[in-house]
Amino acid sequence: MLLLSAPFEPAAAAPGPVIVTRTYAYLGAVTGLVVAAGLCLDLLGARPGHGRALAAGTVHGGLIALGWLVATGAAPGWIGPAIRIAAAAVLASVAARLGPWGPLGFLAVPVLVLIEARGRPEMRAMGVGGARLSQASAGLAAGAFLGAHLLVTASLTFGYRVHTSDPVAYAGALAYDAGVNVVSAEWLFRGALFSACWRRGSFWPAALLTTALALVRYLLDPALPHAAEARAGAVFYLGLVGLTACVLRAWSGSLLPGYLAGLAFFAAYRTLTP
Amino acid sequence: MIALPLLLVMVVATVMALTHQGPASVLRHLYLVPTLWAGLARGAIGGGLIGVLAGLLHAPVALPAVERDGLSSQTLDGLLSLGLPVLTGLLVGRLVDGSRARAARLGAVLAIQRRLAAPGPLEDALAGVAEELRVTLGARRVALLVGSDVRTARLASVPVGTLVDADSAAAFTLATGQSVASADLRADPRIAASEPPAPTPLRGLALPLVSGVGVIGVMGVEWTGELARATRTAAEEMALHAGLAVENARLTMRQRRFADELAEKVEAATARLRELDQAKTEFLSVVSHELRTPLTALQGFSELLLRSAVPPEKARRCLVYLHTEACALGRIVGELLDLSRIEAGRPLELRPESIDLDELMGRNVELFASEHRAHRFRWTPSAPGVALRADPDAVDRMMKNLLSNAVKYSPRGGAVCVSANRAPDDPGMVEVAVEDDGIGIPADQLPRIFERYVRVPHPETAATRGLGLGLSLVKALAEAHGGRVEVDSLPGKGSRFRVLLPGLDAHF
Repeated sequence: MLLLSAPFEPAAAAPGPVIVTRTYAYLGAVTGLVVAAGLCLDLLGARPGHGRALAAGTVHGGLIALGWLVATGAAPGWIGPAIRIAAAAVLASVAARLGPWGPLGFLAVPVLVLIEARGRPEMRAMGVGGARLSQASAGLAAGAFLGAHLLVTASLTFGYRVHTSDPVAYAGALAYDAGVNVVSAEWLFRGALFSACWRRGSFWPAALLTTALALVRYLLDPALPHAAEARAGAVFYLGLVGLTACVLRAWSGSLLPGYLAGLAFFAAYRTLTP
Repeated sequence: MIALPLLLVMVVATVMALTHQGPASVLRHLYLVPTLWAGLARGAIGGGLIGVLAGLLHAPVALPAVERDGLSSQTLDGLLSLGLPVLTGLLVGRLVDGSRARAARLGAVLAIQRRLAAPGPLEDALAGVAEELRVTLGARRVALLVGSDVRTARLASVPVGTLVDADSAAAFTLATGQSVASADLRADPRIAASEPPAPTPLRGLALPLVSGVGVIGVMGVEWTGELARATRTAAEEMALHAGLAVENARLTMRQRRFADELAEKVEAATARLRELDQAKTEFLSVVSHELRTPLTALQGFSELLLRSAVPPEKARRCLVYLHTEACALGRIVGELLDLSRIEAGRPLELRPESIDLDELMGRNVELFASEHRAHRFRWTPSAPGVALRADPDAVDRMMKNLLSNAVKYSPRGGAVCVSANRAPDDPGMVEVAVEDDGIGIPADQLPRIFERYVRVPHPETAATRGLGLGLSLVKALAEAHGGRVEVDSLPGKGSRFRVLLPGLDAHF
């Protein structure tokens, strides 16, 4: 029992803030890069091309790098892995434009993240690690339920239909979600931010804050339709997905169930075509 | 209990679907009924889950309406209805959970008091209290450290077995009375944890156990995962109650111990009184016998002298007997008078003067040697310069008592050594020693031999006459002179009595 067995130094500093002061400059730089890439995406619109791929890769790579920065507190040696992962995300995004099977390159990003995070205690603390089969199944089931619900709701609308005529494009979208989209969200919002906030306080404030930040990130995504019903639906479903992921992270101690929940939800979402 | 609210939610959803209700339909408010029901029955989790389900069931009605009608007041109303049941369920459930937690805390406080009030070792009671606290607070570990010093304090922990560091957070709380709270013990810079931070935080709270006398211990609690503010408040309340209950238990135990000690003392005093009563009865019997013996001799010899013409030689022998018995009677009466003085708390009357110790002791040794031929008396005169200022009569009585005892308790004869000298271990004191090689005194009887009416029973001396007053008089007389009496004895080897009296130079 640490309260009785571990030496205690009352004069030592109490636990610091989630965002360490020395990270401010890096944080500003990376956030600026992500915002700039997002603006580029917005300006480029839906036109496919290498510029858009570069910007999209930069956004996701930047988000993962932000998560790495927050988790490590800019400790010496943080920048190398962050740059490598961000570069992999950009490369995968560019590669996705090269052919119908190009999006499979996205799958290299989570693999690289796991390799870089291996053996680092701060990464284990943020939830990088395995989960029990029951916990992973629960995450998958929760995401699948919300995804199915989304499909039911969408079926009651006029403008959104389930459409699976192009399986290759669907597989590419799934690879994008599995490789960078869900990874960046879970890594930054649940892994780095939620874990740190929860460690310093209570569950609900941490869950609500990080879910709100994740919602803002999705609502600012140029790929999201601008229609009011789409935005309302995004707030409703992504809010539930985010809170579910927080609950799963707290329950299991791992990011995996939340990642699987997000993946299952987006697997359903990708079948919808406006 | 959750099945009925669940069924009711489904019924409301079905009715709304079948009747094609819009997002702002009045029927949507019916979702609140099962939500409240679940919240009341199952707390925040039940209320929250049913509320989420209600929101999910209403979403296919509310969200398509936005596409159809745009963001009108009705569709906005419908959208708000998605979150309303969740919030209601959580709020009501939280209030219910709070009430239940308070009831549980009250029950736990009573259980703690019951455990601590039960007879038995405090350690066992504390272990029970720690388990009670762990269950009530939903904690992973609970430890109670009771005492003023962390090194000697009693420890009860659940699970059992933890080390206590003298510089730990608990020790800090015990020393200062300040609480220590840590949101994650493994990641707290103030705590030198040996393990790195885990994915799930380890919360910790060290609270002082306070009573009227100050800090009497520490309650340490560790939780894995979430620690609600209400739980923390509950822990603080429990620490307050536990502190008072522990103090009450300690006071009760002290009272019990005091009562037990008192009962033991009363029993011992009663036994002693019985013993004294018995001794007095025996004493009266012995005194009667001791008085009658010389009186009978006096009566017989005096009658003989009065009634018949006794030849001068025989008459002289009778007179010697009469004198001897009268002296014996006088000695007994003197001892009785001294005894009555001692019992009345009056000081013995002493007439101190310079004594020729060698003359007094030599005379006594000669007297006893002439009366007890079976014993070998050895007298060592004192070194030059040994002088004593004391009541000669008192010293004479002390000597006679000691010599008499030496003879009585050497029934088979033997050596009796008498000496007087400066006490080697006590400057300024003169030591008068009488040593025999008789039956000796058992070690357990030694503390009692100077008490009144006490005679050490021994089969070889059962027939020996005596009042059991001799040594108590020796002690009283020695102390009246500002001295003392000591004894060394081994059963079967003999005894050595040492009377220490202030020398002529010492204060008298």
